Amino acid sequence: MNPRILGVVGLIAALTFAIPTATATTGSKSATRAAANTLTVWLQIDAQSSWPDLVASTNREFERRYPGWTVDVQYASWPDHLQKFDATLAGGSPPDVKEMGNTEMTKYMAAGAFTNLSADKKTFANSKNWLGGLAASTTYNGKLYGVPYYAGSRVVTYRTDLFTRAKVKVPKTLAQYTQVARKLRAQNGKRSFSPVYIAGKDWYVGMGFVYDYGGRIAIFKGGKWAGALNSPRAIAGLNAFKRFFTVASRASKTTIETRPNPYDVYAQGNAASMIGPAWFTCCVGKFKAETKQFVMPSHTRGKVMPGFLGGSDLAIPARSDAKPQAKTWIRIFTNTQSEKTLQAKGNIPNATNLLGKSINERAAARSWFVPTAKNWVNVENANVLRTMLSDILTGKASVQKAATTASKSITRMLNR
Amino acid sequence: MTAETQLPPPPLPVETRPPAPPRRRRRRRAGQTLWNLLGLALLVLMAFPVYWMISTAFKPDDDINGFTPTWLPTHPTLDHFREAMSRPFFWDGIKNSVIIVSVTVLVSMVLAFFAAVALAKFRFTGLKLFIVLMIGIQMLPQAGLIIPLYVVLARYGQVNTLTGVTITYMTFVLPFTVWTLRGFLLGIPRELEEAAMVDGSTRVGAFVRILLPLVAPGLVATSIFAFITSWNEYIFARVLLNDQGKQTATVWLSYFYGTSKHTDWGALMAGSTLIAIPVVIFFLIVQRRIAFGLTAGAVRG
Amino acid sequence: MSSTEAPGGAAFAAEAPLPRRRRPHTATRLFRGAVPYALILPVLAAVAAILGYPLYRLVRISFEQYGLFELIQRKGIPVGWENYSSVLHDPVFWDTLVRTVIFTIANVALTMVLGTLIALLLVRVSAVVRVLLTSGLVLVWAMPPVVAVQVWLWMTNYENGVLNYALTKLRLGDYFQHDWYATPFSQLALSTTLIVWGAIPFVVLTIYAGLAQVPRELVEAAEVDGARSWRIFKDVTAPILKPILLILTSLAIIWDFGVFTQPFLLIGQSNIQESNYLMGIYLFEEGYSKSDFGRGAAISILMLLIVALLSVFYVRKMLRLGDLR
Repeated sequence: MNPRILGVVGLIAALTFAIPTATATTGSKSATRAAANTLTVWLQIDAQSSWPDLVASTNREFERRYPGWTVDVQYASWPDHLQKFDATLAGGSPPDVKEMGNTEMTKYMAAGAFTNLSADKKTFANSKNWLGGLAASTTYNGKLYGVPYYAGSRVVTYRTDLFTRAKVKVPKTLAQYTQVARKLRAQNGKRSFSPVYIAGKDWYVGMGFVYDYGGRIAIFKGGKWAGALNSPRAIAGLNAFKRFFTVASRASKTTIETRPNPYDVYAQGNAASMIGPAWFTCCVGKFKAETKQFVMPSHTRGKVMPGFLGGSDLAIPARSDAKPQAKTWIRIFTNTQSEKTLQAKGNIPNATNLLGKSINERAAARSWFVPTAKNWVNVENANVLRTMLSDILTGKASVQKAATTASKSITRMLNR
Repeated sequence: MTAETQLPPPPLPVETRPPAPPRRRRRRRAGQTLWNLLGLALLVLMAFPVYWMISTAFKPDDDINGFTPTWLPTHPTLDHFREAMSRPFFWDGIKNSVIIVSVTVLVSMVLAFFAAVALAKFRFTGLKLFIVLMIGIQMLPQAGLIIPLYVVLARYGQVNTLTGVTITYMTFVLPFTVWTLRGFLLGIPRELEEAAMVDGSTRVGAFVRILLPLVAPGLVATSIFAFITSWNEYIFARVLLNDQGKQTATVWLSYFYGTSKHTDWGALMAGSTLIAIPVVIFFLIVQRRIAFGLTAGAVRG
Repeated sequence: MSSTEAPGGAAFAAEAPLPRRRRPHTATRLFRGAVPYALILPVLAAVAAILGYPLYRLVRISFEQYGLFELIQRKGIPVGWENYSSVLHDPVFWDTLVRTVIFTIANVALTMVLGTLIALLLVRVSAVVRVLLTSGLVLVWAMPPVVAVQVWLWMTNYENGVLNYALTKLRLGDYFQHDWYATPFSQLALSTTLIVWGAIPFVVLTIYAGLAQVPRELVEAAEVDGARSWRIFKDVTAPILKPILLILTSLAIIWDFGVFTQPFLLIGQSNIQESNYLMGIYLFEEGYSKSDFGRGAAISILMLLIVALLSVFYVRKMLRLGDLR
């Protein structure tokens, strides 16, 4: 046979041989499940670095209840854990328990990724008292698809020495805080110094003002979402934010709350206070002794400004074949004892009856959460709220106009 | 061999060249000093970020976050290195990376060399198609391949294995290496080839043996590329490997900046410095093969 | 040398001597048939076995509605050309395309010109400086992208970055708290410097390796004849370097057109918006970020076709180079 033709045939054969003719559906479990009685749990790296003992004790208790089973805990990091999760959903075997950020849940719930746990709700500890922000993130179309794990809110971290020097006390209302900021500025006029460091595009703080004045980001009515930032109340909140920012913050109006990190600015001595998660006290440099926290005051006396409730939930992928075991593991990991351990590490536990008196937990008394729409993530990725805030602060658009533009975008994106 | 077809004796390596006439040598020296200065200036400019990374690894936290930049680490500390190395699975990460990358580079270089020889020195049906395939594969954005590739490897049972990751890296390294080595082979001046062929060898083995030293610089350059690309590859290693004990060095590094809390910059920089060391070692080993006088020596032999 | 008839005649197939013309490389006649196929088969098999199915699947889902729901069901809904149509009708796509083409041209030009100059410099410096410089370049090359971006961010930090500090101290203007990421142009310019900086080591080392193939005696013969550096480069060095320069340019076009990690991390997810999208980022945002995998596949295929078009000139030259032999 002519070697050339043989070669061409070989070439084509090699190419087509490797392409399976069947379609992509795989009904059976692939070889990724290590052994028959293994429970695969995917948690975020925070658990490994901050509360490894809790994980270990949970595993021990689980193995006691299910002799012959082992728990395989694997850790992921926040930036790309969903990409990996998507891959296992598409082709391999997903884990039996998955930790999800509370803002990440809705999209996956809407896509049918998780097991319906409505019938088991009673079996999870303190389920009647779950925190509002977390419970909202585990429910879709009235059904329960996840279990709240832990949360964190936002507080003000401040320099007691600077407050003393300016002869000001911890403010109890927003108006008082504004006064405090003015006095702090009078004490230190440096160009880079902020009485209250807030980055211009810090929408977590900005939306807190909106919710404080009774506004919302979006409302679900009549089966459709409608952006609500151009309502009078939301506009009042945005105006209040703009007024407060102008007096209190010398941060860039166009940068976000991680560039630079507020605690870095604080540690350099360029901020008297900053609004952020409670763990900011980790990195205040040489001001550790003079650093304390208080809850961000509302414009209404006696109330707390609603803080964004960030947190994690635990869910069971629908394709898991160890659902009863997964439920048991989650039950142990989120029972009252476990939540108290998490609380001791500085987190907010998942139920209101467990809340203590720490600043972090007092701040959670009033909290707000993003609209539980399956497309909400797209709004965040498109930076609609961030752009709105920086346009307002730089004067590029009036508050009314910026809010209307943002609302229109939100309506469009959430209803796609 | 007749006189006409014999090449003039190849020059001795640069270092032992007979002394040039004095005036030319002085001029050359002065010229070289200027070039040297330019080279050093360039080094400072290009490597400044690397210097910043390494010096940050030695700075105490206050200096790292200080308002005015600290140019020299005046209070160097080894704490960050200790912290980085104490993080779980550090040595596993290095070990796995070394295994995966060594196998990838070795196997890819061998396979790619043979394929490049076929492409550069032969004419056969399907030649052009194969060349286009080699460059075409590289034009595809990799992002779209992550999930389907995971599905394929899951079917072969190669998820969460070092083999699966190695094969994946090979398929990304091969097209590039074949494409580039073909270029190096095409660039060999024909005089050298023909002079080498004059020896009269006809067997494939001898043929390859002659080409190999001529294309050695190209092999070195592409092997460095293959090494670094595989060593720094992140997303496929992350998606394909589950057990922390099997993860590569770059995945290990990602835990430094993956928490929801603050990032320990000193430790991250220390970790990055540590995992850059094997790359530099590899480079220092192979870089001696890129040198003038090499091709001349091969012809002579 | 006038003779092309090598005296070792047995090595070459018997042919009538072609006077004064270089005979095409005769190795093809030596080894018939199976040998080249055997040589390429391992590569072909490896690539086909691993990439064959993913490529097929990518093309297939580009014609399907394939979002997160379909991914979990493991079944897409065929929708014909809808994905392609929606992308091609998206004005953002065309804006991004134009922006990315300009971006690519700038990056490739800078990388190739600077890379070549530095490689030529490497030839002229002393051995010590050469090892230092190449080691420095390899360290640059070896920095993981995430770390490189972070160092870049520190250097350009508007609060305490060395760039603002140095520029202000050098009295080049008031760069106090200058936000380098405020405008799309500035963001993309910084991305360019980061990408070019990261790409130069590879280009330099490859060209330097190519230069190592230039026979010393040819260069010296030309020098003795009195040719100046530029002539030597043009007549002796460049022809030998040509395939390598073509390769590098074609690769640079491909990489810079689809680049994602560096600009995405540098500009930051929060600053990414339609006015500073590059194609790689557009693919991520419009496809994978929204979990619209079908659309992402369509964009990937379109990017493939566009890049093929942009680099066709160089690729064809590479193909033809083999012909002349």
